Amino acid sequence: MKGYWARRTGSALLILGLVLVLNFMLFRMMPGDPVASIIDPNFSPEAKARLSQVYGLDKPLPVQFWRYVKSTLSFDFGISFLTGRPVMEELRSRLPNTVTLLGTSLLLSALLGTWLGMKAALRRGSFLEKCILWSGAVSFSFPSFFVQLTLLMAFAAALPVFPLRGTLSVPPPAGGMALLADYLWHMALPVFSLALLGFGGWALYVRNLMVKILGEDFILLARARGLPQRNIVMGHAFRTLLPTLLTIFLLSLPGIVSGAVITETVFSLHGVGRFLLEAVTGHDYPAAGASFFLLALLTVSCNLLSDLLYGVTDPRVRMERGGRR
Amino acid sequence: MKKALFALLPAVMIFLAAPLGVCAADFDPEAYAGPRVKDLYLVIIRDPDAQLMALERGKVDVLGDLHRPVDVDALAKNPDVELSLASGFHGFFLGFNVRHFPWNRVELRRSAWQALPGDRMVRDLFGGYAEPLSTFLPPVSPYFEPDVTAYPFDPEAAKKRLSDAGWTWNPDGVLVSPEGEKVPPQKLLCPTASSAPTTAEIAVRIAGALSSIGIPAEAEPMDFSAMISRLDERDFQMYVLAWQMTRDPDSLYAFYSSKMDVRGGYNMPGISDPGLDEVLDRLRFAPDEEEARRAASEAQKALSDLVPVVPVYSRYSISAASKSWKGTLVTDRVTADNTWSLLAMEPAEGPMRPLYLVQQDEPRALNPFTSSTAYDWQVMGLIYDSLIAVDPYTLETIPWLAESWTVEKEEGPSGPRTVLTFRLREGVEWHDGEPFSASDVAFTYETLKRFAPPRYLDNVENIDLVETPDDHTVRVTMKNVSFWHLHRVAGIPVLPKHIVEKVEDWRSWLPAEEKGSDLTGLVGTGPFIFKEYRPGEYVRMSGNERFWLGRGK
Repeated sequence: MKGYWARRTGSALLILGLVLVLNFMLFRMMPGDPVASIIDPNFSPEAKARLSQVYGLDKPLPVQFWRYVKSTLSFDFGISFLTGRPVMEELRSRLPNTVTLLGTSLLLSALLGTWLGMKAALRRGSFLEKCILWSGAVSFSFPSFFVQLTLLMAFAAALPVFPLRGTLSVPPPAGGMALLADYLWHMALPVFSLALLGFGGWALYVRNLMVKILGEDFILLARARGLPQRNIVMGHAFRTLLPTLLTIFLLSLPGIVSGAVITETVFSLHGVGRFLLEAVTGHDYPAAGASFFLLALLTVSCNLLSDLLYGVTDPRVRMERGGRR
Repeated sequence: MKKALFALLPAVMIFLAAPLGVCAADFDPEAYAGPRVKDLYLVIIRDPDAQLMALERGKVDVLGDLHRPVDVDALAKNPDVELSLASGFHGFFLGFNVRHFPWNRVELRRSAWQALPGDRMVRDLFGGYAEPLSTFLPPVSPYFEPDVTAYPFDPEAAKKRLSDAGWTWNPDGVLVSPEGEKVPPQKLLCPTASSAPTTAEIAVRIAGALSSIGIPAEAEPMDFSAMISRLDERDFQMYVLAWQMTRDPDSLYAFYSSKMDVRGGYNMPGISDPGLDEVLDRLRFAPDEEEARRAASEAQKALSDLVPVVPVYSRYSISAASKSWKGTLVTDRVTADNTWSLLAMEPAEGPMRPLYLVQQDEPRALNPFTSSTAYDWQVMGLIYDSLIAVDPYTLETIPWLAESWTVEKEEGPSGPRTVLTFRLREGVEWHDGEPFSASDVAFTYETLKRFAPPRYLDNVENIDLVETPDDHTVRVTMKNVSFWHLHRVAGIPVLPKHIVEKVEDWRSWLPAEEKGSDLTGLVGTGPFIFKEYRPGEYVRMSGNERFWLGRGK
């Protein structure tokens, strides 16, 4: 068991090391650079050369790489070329909104999708199943900007129930509770829109898996033993489904910090997604490098965690890892 | 001609409907004493649809930089909104790589210009909210020369010019040079339709128009960064690119001098003509305004002969303001979202209330040394003042922190040089109550020269010496002679010495996050005092009750 974890941790560190190198190389291999992309007739070639100097891009690549490794491993990440602010500050100011938006919507869509998927699997051929399958497919297929703009026009413009933009009223209300309520009111429509767009995938996936599990021999045996339906579904079928769902959920977690560019734009939210997009397209090496490194770190950690939880939720895996088979 | 008029009709209607309370001759800056509003919010809304909805629902009062014709049409029907339109400094050009065949042939470039249906493109794609461009400076520029050779749309005349020069067409309709060289397929670099739909469409239309006279052209959409990289490496045949120019004709030197055909320089076409270079050098180092005007005019005439690029269109600036406010200043050169308006605006009825403006993206570091985006300067432009300002009617230079100045030429140890002497306004105070003086101006110029932040490098690199004979006089001796030194030096925002001298690292300075009792590190002499920036939400400012403008009246 110890050997297994040592191997997994070792491979995780290796992946992170590779990401560190690739982050440096890939952004510099992309066409263009942070200085060349400036298009301003009042910015002379001499001013551009000075900017290269300020960014440290005039130094040889090995020197740049060493500085980058030092700043990344110390979690300092340097100053963003695009915003002129420390990258860590930028991420810190944006992460709360992004995690609230995507974390809540992921949780909601996963819970709703799982519940509906199970309902559909348990009532095969019924009108309810058809409704769930149809709504799942529709929600899964609609482009997010269309759904979100429609919701915005319906519930913020035509019927002004929700605010048009941002996470705060302008001017903001006074008092802690009032501020919290205002924040929740602002986040409601973006979260609802993402949950609406996301539940379909979960519902279809869970329904298909559940249908397969309900046809397995051990379910037939459980029925033959006369176990109550609730026990069969929750104690046997869902228990079998749970490790897979947990893995998908955990592997979706890194996505909640990478942001949702379109949602953030439509609802004018200060989030990580747009920052990441601008960092990549604007050749902001410190910001892009930091963001992708942190994403890789989170992905690798979630992978490790999902391995651990697999063992907790599936006894067969525990036994295999324990070496008793 | 009729078509051109038709294309401009919607714009003309908005312009006629705009309130022009005073005319150029009446303009008195001192009359704009203010600001009258106590609280100003710059509300950050990125999505154009959300911006429009916010204005329609009364959540914001002023929305600038409208560029989708459909939005302008929608707002034109809104009785609660006043639209304003002005000719801008935007210019969209088709460029050629004149270093290689076939674009090294001037007759081909002239014919390409003549093959472009500029009026129709503007009408179809912009609904009239842009004007066809046929010059190398936008018509609104004070240095615009109207009397230049133009090549109006006439494909038959374009073909005849080529035929007269000995060009022929092969059986496939492709042009063949007088030396027998067939024009190879030409790629026109442009951004992708997903990132810039109108530009991508224009590129397709231009390629079609060129093909119609025998130049086999095809649009090649690509990521904008990749496109700029190709242009920087001079690895292209043709491209389309939009520029934001300024009231000074600096762009002529930057775009067309052979000295700018270097890595990082903007002479992307690679035009190199001794006559043009000589005129552009005269323009860059013109000793006075008269010579500057003469050189700018000659340069534009030379360019219309050489045709290194084809001017295509210039977009109008359009903004919308709620009618629940009065006092906006609108001219044919500035829309309602300008500093003069912010000084004078007050509710049309009822008591004073906060004014809400749309800010279309985040201000970033709000660091006067490093910030270069329009969004940063939308905020800092209301905080910091410079020595001169621009007349909103004529775009001429008018006094601001300097109440007068002289531009003299004198002999220095290494040749003639320009000496700028500014007489500063008295009684001006910084937001924290400290008096503003010549030492602040001298400190600003000397600090920028010492730190050399890239944004100001071109402004200060020619400063030789800064002197302060008294508290209200600044004398700046330049290294060489140029009329433009006045605009470059006096246009720099003046920083408070007592605050900035404590800054340890100009690159990482975040003045908006320095918390004082009531102020941050963003202290200026301007009409608004910075209060708060909530990322993603808004910037809050308050009216500066100590603001100096109009105090004398």
